[in-house]
Amino acid sequence: MLIEVAQFLSILATGLFFLCFVFSIFFNVNDVNIINLISRTYSHSFFLFLFSFLIYVWLAINDNFSVLYIAQHSNTNLPVFYKISSIWSAHEGSMFLWIIFLSLWGAIYNFSVDNNEPLKARSIGVISITTVGFLLFLLLTSNPFETILPVPPENGADINPVLQDPLLAIHPPTLYLGYVGFVIAFGQAIAFLIEGNSDINWEKQVRFWSIIAWSFLTLGITLGSWWAYYELGWGGYWFWDPVENVALMPWLAATAFIHSLSASSKSSILRVWTILLSILVFSLSLFGAFIVRSGIIDSVHSFANDPERGLYLLAFIGLLVMMSLLLFSYRFTILFSNKRIISLSKESFISINNIFFGTLIFSTMLGVMYPLIYEFIYDQKISVGAPFYNAIFVPITILACLFLFFSIESKWQSKFKISFLNNPLIISVIISLFITFLSFKFYSVSKAWTLVSLFAGSLIISRYILVIYAYLFKRKFVNIYSVLAHLGLGLLIISIALNNDFSSERALNIRINETETYKNHEITFSNLQLIEGPNYESVKADFIIENESGTIFSLNPEKRKYFVRGQITTETAIHASFLKDIYLTIGDQLDDGSWIVNVQFNYFIRWIWFSATLMIISGLFLARSLNRVHL
Amino acid sequence: MTVFFRLFLLSASLMFFYFFYLYIEEDKYYPGASFQTSNMPLFELEDLYSDKLIINTDIEGAHLINVWASWCITCRIEHSYLVKLSSQGIPIIGLNYKDERRDAINWITKFGDPYKLIIHDLQGELALDMGVTGAPETFLINNGKIIAHYRGEVNEMIWSDVFSPIIKQENLFNVN
Repeated sequence: MLIEVAQFLSILATGLFFLCFVFSIFFNVNDVNIINLISRTYSHSFFLFLFSFLIYVWLAINDNFSVLYIAQHSNTNLPVFYKISSIWSAHEGSMFLWIIFLSLWGAIYNFSVDNNEPLKARSIGVISITTVGFLLFLLLTSNPFETILPVPPENGADINPVLQDPLLAIHPPTLYLGYVGFVIAFGQAIAFLIEGNSDINWEKQVRFWSIIAWSFLTLGITLGSWWAYYELGWGGYWFWDPVENVALMPWLAATAFIHSLSASSKSSILRVWTILLSILVFSLSLFGAFIVRSGIIDSVHSFANDPERGLYLLAFIGLLVMMSLLLFSYRFTILFSNKRIISLSKESFISINNIFFGTLIFSTMLGVMYPLIYEFIYDQKISVGAPFYNAIFVPITILACLFLFFSIESKWQSKFKISFLNNPLIISVIISLFITFLSFKFYSVSKAWTLVSLFAGSLIISRYILVIYAYLFKRKFVNIYSVLAHLGLGLLIISIALNNDFSSERALNIRINETETYKNHEITFSNLQLIEGPNYESVKADFIIENESGTIFSLNPEKRKYFVRGQITTETAIHASFLKDIYLTIGDQLDDGSWIVNVQFNYFIRWIWFSATLMIISGLFLARSLNRVHL
Repeated sequence: MTVFFRLFLLSASLMFFYFFYLYIEEDKYYPGASFQTSNMPLFELEDLYSDKLIINTDIEGAHLINVWASWCITCRIEHSYLVKLSSQGIPIIGLNYKDERRDAINWITKFGDPYKLIIHDLQGELALDMGVTGAPETFLINNGKIIAHYRGEVNEMIWSDVFSPIIKQENLFNVN
């Protein structure tokens, strides 16, 4: 009964969202009453829709298995937390959540932006029609409200065990918040193009929202990478999986976008870039949804699929992109500023940055599309892996770092003199050369790319540390959050390079009570026990490890078998320290009674998470500081 | 100039999306379907309504064999489509799987009988030999050979995408 109410509310909300769009197109949006009407209609439809979702959550918590989706993805044995997260463990429910977030961003925007703002009504209209597009997708092709009647099953089919993890329960929501958060930038950009008044500074209003969305996107990607690291048992943090790539593309576009925004919000320079990037970010986010949910690419993330869904999404995204581009081409002339970009000004560096990021996005897209093209021509399935992406990402990132290094002192709209005798530049070059030399000489770093990355990373870090010094002791004004975020970038580059260079692994063939030595670590297999979990049974191994300095600790990797789905998962055991992780997984038992145990030493992996966290936190604080000024 | 620019933007994005459109159409993938040819296993089981024994030679020519049970919820959803198929002249044999006779007969009287013949496989012997993992599953057999096997509910879409092509190819049932 309740489920029908939820479905009805969703349908009602779809109608009301559409009404919002119609109002914003056909009525005079400069009339205060009309703006109020649009704003109010939007919040009402949002609340109806939210209520529908809350009913759904309630049904999931109470194990209402007459709802087909809940019966297929939940189970009475699950803790409440996973009963809720089972909602976004598969296609229909996660789409539901996606749309909730989409309309939530619109609702917060609607609530916090004053009705007098010139672009508000039209932006709400754009957000509404996007929401309607997705709601129709949900209701017509992937209905989460479908029921099993007349007799519901006794128990549900359980959530996929690799998803029974607190981190993975929050990974999709944060990622979705990031993806759909750019709807506000998109809405404002389209509203600006429709309005066609070049005096409106839409960029200034959009910065706050975009930086928050960027932070969520970064957080979502980081959580996903962390989860993959400890749950999948492969010991890596990034696999260039097609779906990781379709998350990376909007992230790259978003990063270019927020940089471009900071230029265009000061003067209307770089507007063409900013508008195009705002359209690009949002369409790449939607494109990601299409790739994951249409099943045209094989990936660990793929949902069960049928062609209708892919077709609908493709048509919808295609329509949205083409309408936006057409609108852009009609308003092309108003986007030009009468000021010229002065060479070696901050704007010029940001344009160069845009070009770098554009190249990265293009190459990633090429990597995603290449297997499809290849299959089309040669009728063979291939996959594009890490070597391709490394060959492109490493040099471009390092080049971009060098430009960043020189651009730090540059000023808005004025030429900046690069004097190579400038103190901070010289000091940081010397420091970086010194660090690179030290690691070459004493820490046996010998791969050329690692040394180059190390040099580039140290350049950025040392340069920004000098900036912080000037900020603290010479009272020189800098945007401290931006400085911290870039520090995070420098640290990220160094950690990735060192992780890549130092990490090693070995598969041991070991019996109980045997000891093996790997890189000065004595690894003893002391015990093996069978354990009964709430919804699984597992084999748990006890390993005692003694490192070179004589410290002893134990690690307990597991292999679990889940009852309901019969799936087998490996649970890794990780000993984390400042520099490295010792990472154990157990494989199969051989005929002679010994076990295959995989030992990995992953260096600087914590530093990667730390750098990402630094960027995320700086992003959130930066948004907060903007909020105080502008809203 | 602007016209060309506009045309370029539109055609470039159209091409991009058309490219992906090609792949949606091509990839229709049904994990439940398999087309391995194998011999129909030998069996000797009772008819659902009587003690009469049914053996391999009782099934001649082309048939669908549908594995069902009264306890199976999806079978109930599938059932109306089977009734429709049988009214179109497709001969369907029921394989009643791990089910009590009385329950099964009640079920059939309640929901209608699309089956030409129902084999009562209480222990799931034949089902095991045929590689059944649950209900519902549907087999297409021709002259003592299994030529198609589908795990899961058969409906309009599955029928037209999984069964129809092979039926046309083998020219069975005299349906076009």
